[in-house]
Amino acid sequence: MANTRKRLLAASAATALVVSLAACGNGSNDDDSSSNADGEKGGTLTYLLASPVGHTDPHRVYVGRDISNFSRTVYRQLVTFPTATDLETANTPVPDLATDTGTSSDGGKVWQFTVKDGVKWQDGKEITCEDFKYGASRAFANDVITGGPNYLLSYLDIPTDADGAPVYKGPYTDKGQADFDKAVTCEDKTITYNFKKAWPDFPLAIAALHMLDPYRADLDKGEGSNFEIFSNGPYMLEGKWEENKGGTLIRNPEYDPDTDTTDNRNAFPDKIVFEIGKTPETINQLLIEDNAEVQAAVTGTRVLPQFIAKASGLGDRYLNVESPYVDYLVPNTKRLSLEVREALAVSTNVKAWITAGGGELFYKPADSIVNPVVPGYQPVEQFKDLGEGDPEAAKAILEEAGVKMPYKLKFTYDGASETADKQSAALKETWDKAGFDVTLNPLTDAYYPTIQDPNADSDVTWAGWGADWPSALTVTAPLFDSRINLTPSSNNQDYGNYKSDEFNSLVDEAQAAGTLEEQTAALQKADAVLGKDYAYVPLEISLFNWVHGSKVNFATTPASNGFPDLGLISVTK
Amino acid sequence: MTATASNLESESLPDPTGHPDELDRAKIAGKSPTKLAMERFRKDKLSMVSFIIVVLYLVGGILAPFLVSFGFLDPRGYNQDLLNKFTLPEGSFGGMSWSHPLGVEPGTGRDVMSRVWLGTTLSLTIALIASLLAMAIGTVLGIIAGFTGGMTDSVIGRLIDLTLSFPSTLMLLALSAPMYEVLTKNVHVPEGDVAWATYVVVFLAIFGWPPIARLIRGQVLSIREREFVHAATLFGASRRRMYFKEILPNLWAPLLVSFTLLLPAYISAEAALSYLGVSIKPPTPTLGNVLRDSLNYAEFDFVYFFSPAFVIALIVVCFNLLGDGLRDALDPKSGR
Repeated sequence: MANTRKRLLAASAATALVVSLAACGNGSNDDDSSSNADGEKGGTLTYLLASPVGHTDPHRVYVGRDISNFSRTVYRQLVTFPTATDLETANTPVPDLATDTGTSSDGGKVWQFTVKDGVKWQDGKEITCEDFKYGASRAFANDVITGGPNYLLSYLDIPTDADGAPVYKGPYTDKGQADFDKAVTCEDKTITYNFKKAWPDFPLAIAALHMLDPYRADLDKGEGSNFEIFSNGPYMLEGKWEENKGGTLIRNPEYDPDTDTTDNRNAFPDKIVFEIGKTPETINQLLIEDNAEVQAAVTGTRVLPQFIAKASGLGDRYLNVESPYVDYLVPNTKRLSLEVREALAVSTNVKAWITAGGGELFYKPADSIVNPVVPGYQPVEQFKDLGEGDPEAAKAILEEAGVKMPYKLKFTYDGASETADKQSAALKETWDKAGFDVTLNPLTDAYYPTIQDPNADSDVTWAGWGADWPSALTVTAPLFDSRINLTPSSNNQDYGNYKSDEFNSLVDEAQAAGTLEEQTAALQKADAVLGKDYAYVPLEISLFNWVHGSKVNFATTPASNGFPDLGLISVTK
Repeated sequence: MTATASNLESESLPDPTGHPDELDRAKIAGKSPTKLAMERFRKDKLSMVSFIIVVLYLVGGILAPFLVSFGFLDPRGYNQDLLNKFTLPEGSFGGMSWSHPLGVEPGTGRDVMSRVWLGTTLSLTIALIASLLAMAIGTVLGIIAGFTGGMTDSVIGRLIDLTLSFPSTLMLLALSAPMYEVLTKNVHVPEGDVAWATYVVVFLAIFGWPPIARLIRGQVLSIREREFVHAATLFGASRRRMYFKEILPNLWAPLLVSFTLLLPAYISAEAALSYLGVSIKPPTPTLGNVLRDSLNYAEFDFVYFFSPAFVIALIVVCFNLLGDGLRDALDPKSGR
């Protein structure tokens, strides 16, 4: 399970971002251009990317930017999130390929959807219930279909073997096929999913991720399908997708807009060209100068700190939006006692970290690991005002704890950029004043595999996370539940080796809850436990800064995770 | 020291008869090759200027750590209140002021002059140790190869070819992480700056000695045919005596020249390496890592970009000019 899902990769403005759902449309100083749903049809839109897209196979896509891009263009889902900017509406799924948003029975353990009439693949064939069933089966081949979400493996009602893995091994072998056929059933156009445990927010999960997308069994080449796109949306791929170059989307003649919810897929441009390979610096520069070749271009590469002074003065070609990600510090609970963790949190200078990372246009202080856009967010008492840190108070805590001072502390962070170096040195300043002796440990490659070593000698680690769908259950539980994370060879997402029975039982309570209200209440208590134990220290919420060409009607929505929303963007002549 | 032919000449002191003619002649005859070389060097204005700048660099480099400990330089202190909302320095010319003569760093507000100054010290130290090591290895192997000849010569010759055939920069980058592990875990070099510096020094030296060894071997081939060497052999001098007492003293001129040319090469190599992220890491400044960060601001904070770039360029040019000047002075026949 050493995949790199959902993670935010690099403290600074590096490009790789991950999954999650809810971004927030209301940035600090944007003029909300996202309400622009009446663009002109036609033109060619260029989408500039600095690094390759990992997968275009719908069941392997797990990066926030790609999920949204493909949702709006080629991969329709059972239900999807609308392009609304109002958070309440944005977090409510609407029917897409299904006739409604699903009906549940047996306390949320059984979910049923009916596939619409007249929805077709790009070759004109109808999308059938069997296609959906086949799509759900692919996640179980987790040796072939890697990188994607794996929630189905633990939720679908399929017996497990001695290792706790489902007996069904995916469509490429015959193992456990009968069990899968019982868990997912098709009756005419109605598909039924049977789960082991209640999944009250299941529609949110499948609107946010592509894990239940339909897939054509006759076109599946397993690993070989990694860069294939077989569309059922308004666009289809022209020629091939090249890993290091990108691809071109043209209109799909078989797509019938009448089967789609209005305004979700406006599909304004005639062509969308994904262009991979320019460096972030070049992309920044070209867009800021509004160079002729990028006047009809948007990008998934954020503005770098050194360009912000220029970029923010570009008027309506610039937009600042809040992202759904939270960056945080993880104290290693194996090595640091509760008092030391408290002293660490108290002396953490979030303000200096933010300034060194580019300032108030790049980050906003966080007071919980749960992003404010996630339902059920509430500030954690201990982290309410970390501000500039209080080294004096921290020193008093350390002295009272009677630890040897200066207390040696090794801080591990993703050292991919100079910005990250400056940010980390900023933290060191106040930590050192509080009586720590901090060694900075920048990692340049294989960041997550290194910090996942349960025997690592690091004391504090940096990490970033965004919710998979609007539920705190996709934040605190996957990050701190010791039962699913801690193994002898890896701590998975629990980088601080945190282990608490109190927390685990609250997660159980949340998972057993039949309603979202009960679930939320349990999760809020769980986050409070994490605060009390200083299991993490929240740093900031990343803000995204976008610059686009002058011939683009730009838009970004919560559904697009704060990235450009291709369902709304149009090109002017 | 063993008297070589040239030393003997210079020791023919004038006899103190007091005759003015004799004295004049003695003055002219009394100039040793060293003195002649120094005279030639002093007349070369460009070399003298470079020499003075190099000396200033060295003195500055030695002073920096003391200035830091006395608080005159502060390469680590954050002054984020000197930055504007875009985290660029407030004010013109990169935030230049009396307390920050070269301005402050964007994002952190650290004093640029302190960072560049201390960075120079660290970069110079690494380059200096690395070139001394490379010179030592190259000289010893060169003398042995040249003097012994035969099988030993070919083995060392092949070793030189082998070392030169490695893609050294690539290996430096690729091996940095595992070698750092080995240095800190197995050799117990203190983690962090010291271990990184050690790594760079060792690698630069390991890949830097072959040209020196070749040069020295060539020199030794001609020296070993000289009479005083034959004489020493006849007297039954030991090998070590032959290498270090008979031959080495005759090599100081080429050694000095190659040293002054190797050092600037290593200064820029170290800067390039810390630019690529395999030398001492920030927040400890080196010329390379200061340059790496400042490069991002070439357009938006030119003063910040200019300072480390200028310091590196100046020292490399001066060392090279000094090396050239020394070569011209020591070996006028080589010409330009």
